[in-house]
Amino acid sequence: MFIHDHMTPSPVTVTPEQTVAEAIDILQRYNIRHLPVVDEQGVLQGILSDRDLRSARPSTVAQSKERGTVEEKVNKTPVSVLMTRDCLFLVPHATLDDALLLFQSRKIGALPVVNEEEKVVGVFTTADLMNAYRDLFGLGAKGSVLVSIEDNQDPQALSKLVRIMEEKQVQFTRLVRAEGTDKRRAMIYLRINTYNVRSVHKALEADGFVVHVPQKTP
Amino acid sequence: MENEPAITLITDPAFCRHDTGGGDHPEAPERMQVITDRLMQGHLAGRIRTFAPRPATRAQLLTFHTEGWLFRFEEAVLSGRTYIDHPDNQVGYESFDIATLSAGAGLVGVDRIERQPGTVVFCQTRPPGHHAEPNQPYGFCFFNNCVIAARYWQQEYSRRRVCVFDFDAHHGNGIQTAFEQEADTAYISIHEHPSFSYPGTGWAEDKGVGPGKGTILNLPLPPGAGAEQVLRLFPKIRNFLDTIRPDALIVGAGFDAHRQDDMSGLAFTVDLYRRLGNFVTELARDYTQGRVLSILEGGYFLEKLGVCVEAYLSGLVETDE
Repeated sequence: MFIHDHMTPSPVTVTPEQTVAEAIDILQRYNIRHLPVVDEQGVLQGILSDRDLRSARPSTVAQSKERGTVEEKVNKTPVSVLMTRDCLFLVPHATLDDALLLFQSRKIGALPVVNEEEKVVGVFTTADLMNAYRDLFGLGAKGSVLVSIEDNQDPQALSKLVRIMEEKQVQFTRLVRAEGTDKRRAMIYLRINTYNVRSVHKALEADGFVVHVPQKTP
Repeated sequence: MENEPAITLITDPAFCRHDTGGGDHPEAPERMQVITDRLMQGHLAGRIRTFAPRPATRAQLLTFHTEGWLFRFEEAVLSGRTYIDHPDNQVGYESFDIATLSAGAGLVGVDRIERQPGTVVFCQTRPPGHHAEPNQPYGFCFFNNCVIAARYWQQEYSRRRVCVFDFDAHHGNGIQTAFEQEADTAYISIHEHPSFSYPGTGWAEDKGVGPGKGTILNLPLPPGAGAEQVLRLFPKIRNFLDTIRPDALIVGAGFDAHRQDDMSGLAFTVDLYRRLGNFVTELARDYTQGRVLSILEGGYFLEKLGVCVEAYLSGLVETDE
């Protein structure tokens, strides 16, 4: 659940004096979209996104004469001019929830991770968050299948499910109860490791659970 | 009729000796018996010639599997273990030897096809293979029969470009593992969508990695899908093969997508297996000069497994045209 387990450690950084041209080159070379800006001690100064860089460059539809001049000027500009100062950051023991809430409320795609000395030790992006939740939830884990079960609001539902799995000797790795909303029914998700998925469905149905699978064609 | 193509069946009574513990394990020895009964009593009986497999050599198994897995598998069965890594993978004392023989069926098939191009070959084997990974069994599979046959075809006969077409209800994760980083080999799989089915792999987005980019074609189907949805995939498969240009085709022929087979939520009919047989023969004619080898994978509903296999074989030898 902690950021230090899911961040990209020792990320590529730039210093405030480096130019826009250098920063663009780094983003392209490493195929990344965010660059923390640090001083010589590695202390966070700001963050630079590919969007900051793109919006600083002249439009591709601008007049060709002006365009060359402006572009040259921009390329030589130090990144300190374009970077976002006083940017948000995470600490290594922040949680995935902290990151999720920040990403959603501030509509940002990446956060630098800094230690107690404010030195950058990592970067955490929305892609890292997706990978982290993917691992937590077991999506795509080889040899596993997710079973979606209607939550019947029985307080004992989870323990009953565990008992059925134990009786059937079916290994499982995730048991998640998700509350319903206006748009979504309350569900229980069970990630099982067995070839014989239908026999699990049958066992659950025999105990009164409703398993969700897409409607069969007639 | 004299000109009717014969069917070469490669099988061995020994396949029944891979003991999966009785009880209700679906990958049961009876699977072999119901197929044999149907083929020998049905309308194809007079056209079937049966040949014995030979065990794959250690070197042939190592074209996909690791030395570590071979030792671990052999030791597990000899020490009396009843399953390996997961209770799905039931084994008995003879399972290592029988799996080796199962992996060798495809090799005999390749030899026969190369000796006489156009030979229709079906390997009636167990244990199945397409889930087996280099160092691990998965989903009743211990050695990856299709991959081992593909490697043999490449090495012994210089058919570099081998494509596996797998219509088992489950994605053949082991075959994808073997091929996804290679330019020469390709894998096409029709299977129940990984969100609803074992082994949770086979996403349409997986298309191959690095030099293997574009060599994987995963065609997941929603639960309940049958003939209509499958027939719609045929042009996609042809388009894919237009770019792959295979030298040889191996079919992972699983029959667990039948509507009454509980091991998947798919709803294939017996007649769809006949049409799949037609399609495979057309592909072999159009792309591989008749070089096609079919190897049994899954299929667990004993009342229908025999007729499904028979329908597929009928389709292989009796094209619609």
